[in-house]
Amino acid sequence: MGGVVATLIQPDGTAVRIADAQKGESLMEAARRAGVAGILAECGGACSCATCHVFIDKLWFSKVGDPDQVEEEMLDMVDYIRRPTSRLSCQIRLHEGLSGLVAEVAPEL
Amino acid sequence: MGSTSGEATAEDMNDVQDAKLIAEGTLLDPFVHKHPRRFYAAMRRLDPVHYDKSIDMYLISRWEDIQAIQRDPLTFSVNKGYHEQQAKGFAEEFQQILREKGGGYFPDAIMSDPPYHTRVRKLMENAFTAHRVKELEPRIEAVVGGLIDEIADRGSMNAVTDFAQPLTIRIICEQLGLDWSIKDKIARWSTAVTAQIGRMQDRAEMLEHAAQICELQHHIIAAMREWQAQPREDMISDIVHAKEGDGEGSVLTFEEAVSLVRALLIAGNETTATALSNLVFILATQPEVLAKLQQSADDDKLMNRFVEELLRIEPPVRGLSRMTTRDVELGGKLLPQGAHLLLMYASANDEPEVFPEPRKFDMDRTNIMKHVSFGGGVHKCVGIALARMEIKVAARQLVRRLGNFRLAIDENAIAFLPTVATRTMESLPVTFERIG
Ligand code: HEM
Ligand code: FES
Repeated sequence: MGGVVATLIQPDGTAVRIADAQKGESLMEAARRAGVAGILAECGGACSCATCHVFIDKLWFSKVGDPDQVEEEMLDMVDYIRRPTSRLSCQIRLHEGLSGLVAEVAPEL
Repeated sequence: MGSTSGEATAEDMNDVQDAKLIAEGTLLDPFVHKHPRRFYAAMRRLDPVHYDKSIDMYLISRWEDIQAIQRDPLTFSVNKGYHEQQAKGFAEEFQQILREKGGGYFPDAIMSDPPYHTRVRKLMENAFTAHRVKELEPRIEAVVGGLIDEIADRGSMNAVTDFAQPLTIRIICEQLGLDWSIKDKIARWSTAVTAQIGRMQDRAEMLEHAAQICELQHHIIAAMREWQAQPREDMISDIVHAKEGDGEGSVLTFEEAVSLVRALLIAGNETTATALSNLVFILATQPEVLAKLQQSADDDKLMNRFVEELLRIEPPVRGLSRMTTRDVELGGKLLPQGAHLLLMYASANDEPEVFPEPRKFDMDRTNIMKHVSFGGGVHKCVGIALARMEIKVAARQLVRRLGNFRLAIDENAIAFLPTVATRTMESLPVTFERIG
């Protein structure tokens, strides 16, 4: 267990470094445990609320990958704040290959 | 509904009239009950946290205050708010009846506060993810298709009893894995449970409703005993067998599970049925919206926006409650500990500062996801993905196969169910033509 590090930049610009993210959990779960501001995750990871929206750092995006169709439809609902590297953090499963990941928390709806 | 002619817009109201409306009107007033928007607008302007003495509750009318409440679930307790609202005036007698004749009194496990709520919620979430629901889409298509087959050639229907209610009940039975034979009972059970938080039942009605709830509980308990012995591929099985982590609390107790199945049967029923009736109302009264849908029924993204705007403009849930667990300031008013609040979702969704031209059905609103029809915070509706899918599939098939929808009743004659919990049309006669 353990072993994944992720850094999230909160809406106010400050960064939170999550050192104890667990393999297999979602980025949203790790962020919520660390109390990252702006990750409300109201639907609890059901890909249904878009309140866990993050912009993946460009250098990391190819490793994280594109959203699937269900996530794509949800992201479309928040089109006005969306960027090319937008993802819903509840849909990103952490693994060793993502250790070091950097992402910015999207502004609130 | 919609742009009912009797309802003035915020612009043509004046303070004197508004003040009078607030001083004299209450949610239980038949006029306000039928035309709440004017009352909401008056509250938002003059008294956003308004004490309604007829129900002894504070009505929360502004988006921002509702948001603040949803984000602080410990100060604003669902557990106290809900269980205080339940069978108000007859609570002890009601509980006694369930204990004696209904197999037990099972407090609603989901109508609770963190950290207890966090555990229960986690255990039910997996059954409801958007991905899970996506897999159900073909089944939902089939159910909707079958129902439209039955009505397509009739040229007219009561959208509530011929379409919205049977559709929701078929889907919920299928999802929960319940026997189809109980379909007639579900509507009655659902009314009985919803009435417990509706604040508009007298004692005779409470007794009748309690008898219904006893029957419902016996049914659920029997079904769950079967599922315990033999897991199946449905939501009740998911709940009965849900497990998170190890040790104490990693599974639901039998009492918790009964209360959750009961909650799902009800929470997912009247609300979604109401949304489906509202869907038909919009198709019959907003020809431009219908035309747009007819052109774009295959465009999932547009259909998603349609569903969200439908829910914003006409929220099925009128108001749900909270109770303060300490003295707290809200919207400029100091609320004492133990204050009972009602969150007026339709009012928040109608706030022009948040949603410009709120009465306009506008699928292109950028902030469409800000509506509060599904609540928010840790109690945000757990059935969102399922509700959205049902409405989307229903809308898609309705506009593909039927057209020229028209109300067969004067808009002002539409009556609403006597409850403060949902805003549900009692009946909606419409005519239409078969086109596919
Ligand atoms: C259009 C349809 C629906 C609407 C408008 C709706 C609305 C809501 C609202 C406003 C809440 C918030 C409660 C609060 O804050 O106190 C809620 C919670 C809930 N809804 Fe829905 N709902 C719908 C469909 C469904 C469906 C289909 C299901 C399940 C099958 C469901 C199950 C629940 C449950 C269990 C909760 C409690 C969640 C919690 O407290 O954690 N709902 N719903
Ligand atoms: S937590 Fe709701 S979409 Fe991610």
